[in-house]
Amino acid sequence: MRLSRRQMLGTGFAAGMMPLLPRMASAQPRRGGHVTAACMSSSTADTLDPAKGALSTDYCRHAMFYNGLTDYDDNAQPRLSLAESLDSSDQMTWRVVLRDDVKFHDGSKLTADDVVFSLLRLQDPASGSKVKPIASQMASVRAVSPRDVEIVLTSPNVDLPSILAQSHFYIIKAGTTNFSTANGTGPFRCQTFQPGVRTLGVRNEDYFRDGRPYLDSLELIGIPDEVARVNALLSGDVQMILAINPRSTRRIRESGTHDLLVTPSGLYTNLIMRRDAVPTSSPDFVLGMKYLFDRELIKRALFRDYATIGNDHPIPPFDPLYRADLPQRTLDLDRARYHFARAGLPSTPLPLYCSPAAEGSVDMASVLQEYGSKVGLKLAVNRMPADGYWSTHWMKHPLGFGNTNPRPTADLMFSLFYKSTAAWNESGWKNERFDRLLLEARAQGDFALRKEIYGEMQEIVAAECGTAIPVFITLIDGFDKRVKGLRPIPLGGFMGYKFPEHVWWEG
Amino acid sequence: MTNAIRSWVKALSGSGLIGLALVVFWLLIAIIGPFLAPYDPGAFVAHDVFASFTGAHLLGSDYLGRDVLSRLLSGARYSVGLALAAALLASTAGIALALLTAVSPRWLDEGVSRFMDTLISIPSKIFSLVLVAVVGSSLPLLLLVASITYMPGSFRIARSLAVNLAQMDYVQVARCRGEGAAYIAIREILPNMIHPMLADFGLRFVFIVLLLSGLSFLGLGVQPPDADLGSLVRENISGLGEAAPAILMPAIAIATLTVGVNLLIDALPGRGRRMAGKE
Amino acid sequence: MAGPATRGLLATALPLIGKRIASGMLTLLLVSLVVFFIAQLLPGDAAQEMLGQAATADAVAALREKFGLDRPAPERYVRWLVGMVTGDPGYSLVANMAVSDVIAARLPNSLLLAALSALVSVPVALTIGILSAMHRDARLDRGLNVATLSMVALPEFLVATLAVLVFSVQLRWLPSIALIPPDASPWLILRSLAMPILTLSVIVIAQMARMTRAAIIQQLSQPYVEMALLKGIKPARVVLTHVLPNAIGPIVNAMALSLSYLLGGAIIVETIFNYPGLASLMVNAVTSRDMPLLQACAMIFCTAYLLLVLIADTVAILANPRLRNR
Repeated sequence: MRLSRRQMLGTGFAAGMMPLLPRMASAQPRRGGHVTAACMSSSTADTLDPAKGALSTDYCRHAMFYNGLTDYDDNAQPRLSLAESLDSSDQMTWRVVLRDDVKFHDGSKLTADDVVFSLLRLQDPASGSKVKPIASQMASVRAVSPRDVEIVLTSPNVDLPSILAQSHFYIIKAGTTNFSTANGTGPFRCQTFQPGVRTLGVRNEDYFRDGRPYLDSLELIGIPDEVARVNALLSGDVQMILAINPRSTRRIRESGTHDLLVTPSGLYTNLIMRRDAVPTSSPDFVLGMKYLFDRELIKRALFRDYATIGNDHPIPPFDPLYRADLPQRTLDLDRARYHFARAGLPSTPLPLYCSPAAEGSVDMASVLQEYGSKVGLKLAVNRMPADGYWSTHWMKHPLGFGNTNPRPTADLMFSLFYKSTAAWNESGWKNERFDRLLLEARAQGDFALRKEIYGEMQEIVAAECGTAIPVFITLIDGFDKRVKGLRPIPLGGFMGYKFPEHVWWEG
Repeated sequence: MTNAIRSWVKALSGSGLIGLALVVFWLLIAIIGPFLAPYDPGAFVAHDVFASFTGAHLLGSDYLGRDVLSRLLSGARYSVGLALAAALLASTAGIALALLTAVSPRWLDEGVSRFMDTLISIPSKIFSLVLVAVVGSSLPLLLLVASITYMPGSFRIARSLAVNLAQMDYVQVARCRGEGAAYIAIREILPNMIHPMLADFGLRFVFIVLLLSGLSFLGLGVQPPDADLGSLVRENISGLGEAAPAILMPAIAIATLTVGVNLLIDALPGRGRRMAGKE
Repeated sequence: MAGPATRGLLATALPLIGKRIASGMLTLLLVSLVVFFIAQLLPGDAAQEMLGQAATADAVAALREKFGLDRPAPERYVRWLVGMVTGDPGYSLVANMAVSDVIAARLPNSLLLAALSALVSVPVALTIGILSAMHRDARLDRGLNVATLSMVALPEFLVATLAVLVFSVQLRWLPSIALIPPDASPWLILRSLAMPILTLSVIVIAQMARMTRAAIIQQLSQPYVEMALLKGIKPARVVLTHVLPNAIGPIVNAMALSLSYLLGGAIIVETIFNYPGLASLMVNAVTSRDMPLLQACAMIFCTAYLLLVLIADTVAILANPRLRNR
């Protein structure tokens, strides 16, 4: 496996994505101008520490000031960034050669020590690292020379280049402990950072990518209320907003001055049925619930068609690894009734936990409740506040909702949420064949063979795992038409949160 | 009995009558509304969202394609019931405590007042946020939160009235007559503070309706699929730009309910005035 | 003549203020205990909330130790209290900054918004209240009554959103978010704050005006007013010089309550207009379980409230001689 400047990895999302690519920017990017972008949230927990990034605002902020060894292209495939090359012959020992022309904002040169420091701290539990389980795959990270780093993994993994492109793996200056300002290599220098208020970056004139960034300055704020966010966009107070509700799309389109960035993504809200509780441990109950989802209604009524129908496994149809020949599960009350009869339903209402923290789950719960009443399943919808949902309710009840962000690779998705030993094995299921296939695919360099393995894993999850994935949610952002250069990258809104160096202003 | 009511209604001014009509209307809706609903309030019956007035859906459809009229008819009881109960609880408790402190020894007055200060100085919505995170949102909890939130305010205003009244000559006279503290509080002080406290009650009712809707803004109010009037406004707020009936109707409902209650209370004959005049 | 009178007033006011400071301390202690106790009941702690979905057992344990959350609750409370008494409100776990720095960035914003809103709402409310009381049941009274009622008849998030739609999106007169750059001119600050002030004033004016009206009407029925009117003093003068001082107790109390709402109750306005104030900071502190920050916010809101009440009571006592005996 080799990733170099000329040679891109993977075949990409090309086929599925083509029709969705917007009018490609034909105009030359223009330099100058200021843009204010509004994300969904902003609080005192805002951070400049890439390891602690928790929310979209953090990811965007980090993309302003830092770079990773790799980056994503428009098809969410890894490409080189701070690394000049990234090779491995066995998918186990990886050799990174750094670019020679990269400087931190304080003027110092990027060295192998910075990379070693940045990657190893992700394994330290006290760092508050969000990716500790993934980072623990790195058995050692060591500087071979000032420009060479050697990463040895605990087991082979073809996807290391993708993993390193995530914002948590961004490179910071060795020894950094104070994150009141950012000292990175990124396209903007941090001028103001007020947690919960604003982040202001000015162009980094020494940026290693020639001509970039295009903007003179970029401001990032958070507006938690969606209606307020849309109003801020339409009134011209901000030029880009993240995550708008499908119901607001008409207003934005009709304005004439603003447009939508539509990104079909692998984001999903799923119903979790725990294996360790009654009656959700019954395979028949699980199947019954899966047949109870009116996916068309959820897609239409809840998401106004800004969604892709899912088939109870986490790989979305537009992913090149998607297995197309699996029959699509649809609403089937007779089958649901049949399975529930076999499982035996409790006479008391079964509590179903949902929360605004898991997007769309409250409304999905209402829909399930409606259909459940038609087949004799009584559900008691318990709507929990977003506050504390993940620590107190997620995975803690027999029947509840979860919400999972897109991951850059199928391996990450399966290892984090479906492997039997994973900390976030939401349903608590255990399938030995699945676990074995996961390791097999990770070491498999050939795309067609990997696709075959992942195809079987999708079948196993859809048939047996206590998770129902009715739809994948399409991300919608809004922007002023004078902001140019935006393209959908299926890993998240705002170009997978990496828009800062790509956009320019034509005002 | 009916004669008494009739003469009482006759004594009301024009705006008082309007208030009475609105209050009676909303009380009726709260009681029989759910039975009048043409659709199940939770069912997705309309294909379009934020639809306007049509024959099938008299008040249009909401943000999920549910029938607005049905949701309004079913939601009124939460606003009317919860707010009425909470306002009654808050005002009664506030007035009772205020009377108690007005005629009781210094230390009790001090203790109760400090406790009220403690309750009142924690912002109500944040207080609710914490309580909801602790025990989850439920109707009894909302009732509790609303009454606790508005009780200290009621207490403070009642207390300042009571303390003022306790210095009045006729109260001093009663004291000299050797009347007991309870007699003074209930027979001499209470009747004279009823009128301002009624005005306060009306406002407190309004504020509780609004607190509930504010809580639903923060996702803490009456929980879906149920919705009080405030939650109906909140969940359909994105229809405001297109002036969808889904948001206008609940907003109008809140306005008529709250204005009605206050018009009625304002028009009530001021009993306190007559009593004071007698002295 | 002014000399002895002033001295008399001071002699009444000073012990009162002294006593109030003492009881205020007691209230603050109570508030901190209540807040600490309730916060202990909250599910999860700062370490878990910070890690969110990524909370694995060892990561949580490591963060807990770093934050000192592994110590027993009473010990943490006493530590915090000792710190507070010695003037150190502690270190915000989540923001990774001294609490005093976090607060210092937000408090001025909240005070500015509250002060401007009070400046608008108090005179308006007093005027409305007095005017409607003097013209009780006349057309003016009814009109003002319906006006103040309809002002509070709509949820504030609706008022705020409507204002944004009209003034920002349609007319483009005012910014839809009140995020003020550090180098903003006073004019820009006023423009940015116009809608938040409007929204907050709408809420508090009604309560203050209606309480003013009720309290004055109550006094107007007193014999001394009739006497004064019989003596031929003009009604306006009677109201301002005789009635108002007697009615001032409930009025200033209602005002103290309403004005304290301007600080802590501004959460919805802060959210919609994206204004970095204390209320949203406190909500942050709750959701991230940042105890030192939560306590600091609670202390500030409580102090502000106590101050307002102290002012209200002082004014009430000074204005009404009969209360001085009590």
